[in-house]
Amino acid sequence: MATDAPAATGVSTDERAFWERIKEPAVYVRLISLVVVIGGWELMGQTGNIDPVTFSYPSAICVAFWDLIASGQMTAAAYESSQILVAGLLIAIPLGIVLGILMGRFQVFEYAVDTYVFALYATPVVALAFPIAMVLGVDFVGKTTIVVFFAIMPIIVNVYHGVRNVDLSLLEVTRSFCSTESQRWRDLIFPSVVPYLVAGLGLACGRALVGMVVAEFLMSISGLGALSQDYIADLELDKGLAPVVLLMVVGIALTKVVNICETKFSSWRVRQES
Amino acid sequence: MSSSDNGTNPTLRLQGIGKWFGSLHVLDDIDIDVKTQEILTVLGPSGCGKTTLLRIVNGLILCERGEVSFKGEVVDGPRPEMAMVFQNFGLFPWKRLDQNIGYALRIQGKEKGEIDRLVSHYTELVGLGGFEANYPSQLSGGMQQRAGLARALAAQPDVLLMDEPFGALDALTRETLQEELLRINEAEPKAMIFITHSIDEALLLGDRVLVMTPRPGRIRFQFETGFGRGRDLEEIRGGKRFQALRHYLWEAMRNPEEEPEPIPDLVIE
Repeated sequence: MATDAPAATGVSTDERAFWERIKEPAVYVRLISLVVVIGGWELMGQTGNIDPVTFSYPSAICVAFWDLIASGQMTAAAYESSQILVAGLLIAIPLGIVLGILMGRFQVFEYAVDTYVFALYATPVVALAFPIAMVLGVDFVGKTTIVVFFAIMPIIVNVYHGVRNVDLSLLEVTRSFCSTESQRWRDLIFPSVVPYLVAGLGLACGRALVGMVVAEFLMSISGLGALSQDYIADLELDKGLAPVVLLMVVGIALTKVVNICETKFSSWRVRQES
Repeated sequence: MSSSDNGTNPTLRLQGIGKWFGSLHVLDDIDIDVKTQEILTVLGPSGCGKTTLLRIVNGLILCERGEVSFKGEVVDGPRPEMAMVFQNFGLFPWKRLDQNIGYALRIQGKEKGEIDRLVSHYTELVGLGGFEANYPSQLSGGMQQRAGLARALAAQPDVLLMDEPFGALDALTRETLQEELLRINEAEPKAMIFITHSIDEALLLGDRVLVMTPRPGRIRFQFETGFGRGRDLEEIRGGKRFQALRHYLWEAMRNPEEEPEPIPDLVIE
């Protein structure tokens, strides 16, 4: 309890802030929605309306989740999966930024590659899994490549648009004050691209997770994708869905990390809103 | 060119400027001399190529005919001796005010101590002291344009190019900034080309007013305002000479086809 809390009410400031937040529609509407949906789902399970062979319900998934962690299967699978996820993102992010910038800034490069980039952007990458496996194998290299293909597209396209949408009147300002090309990148082009890049990274993280699971399903079976698929095949749906829950949590966490980075890199934008 | 600077040699000379955008004839045969420390206001209807003319002077775009020379050198690109103040301020939204004001100095590769000194001097001069850490979006339009002016002044140019700088501001802010601009120019006189479509502004600020025709932009006529330096804008506004010139310009702008009457001979009050 905070000592400076008003004695008359006996409520700490932390506690008051909590109740203040609860009053916001964004908070209480979400809470009610969660209680109704998750609670309803659970109730269906508890009353025997869900066949555990075809589907499961929250408390059963929680128990299965705990069992998989206790047995060490979940952690081992997550470790395996994270390797291709991280490797894929570490390749996709810098490569996507460089390609996006080159496309946005150099017309010759844009004309040379834009057909392939936009064709790939429109292609379901799942369809490429087989040729990739044929060329690069079904193990680490092949799977990482799938993740790269999934993640890189929104980065390239967003950075490209960011570079192309640089404010022309500010471009004129840099020219008027005799800026060199490298100064122009520092003062104008990089800062303009940041919001586009951040949006692209958010999409890329989500797609990388999808790519990871697709790779684990379609190529040599491994990691969280394999764990889920094995148990679903054994008709143990509660254990089959537990890795899916973990993927959801990781997806949300990655999005949060991207948002925090955005706030750090564009403080001028945040201040503008306040 | 003579290096002696007695205030009469042209700092800027425009000779026979002609400009086309494709088949559209924008500017035709423009000859202008701007003397050292002279304020030239250019008045014309929308679309007469005023801004295009200023961009040619700045070296941002090239002209098909004629040439601009600065102290005898042909202008073929932007140069640090000229600084532009933009109609839409042109501040970088992600830079703080002091970073925006010091922008030209960093581009010129000045030392940090020198930059800090000049930035704080010009921030004070335009009346923005205390707002150094703010981002442009946190400031009013008037304050943003003060910053735009400070950025141009900090570059310590010989020529200030003003592209309808107060056009986007409300009437009251506009009048305040007109007075401030004259005050600042008294303190640190420079040659200035000031583009405007406001008759009052052209008269109040200009040593000389140049009126342009609609497209293609040509020089229609020009005259000295004769209000002198250290002018009191409030006093000028109330005076007969201002009223007469204002009426004269108003008639001339309203009848762009007619040859204007000679400017009435008016004594300076």
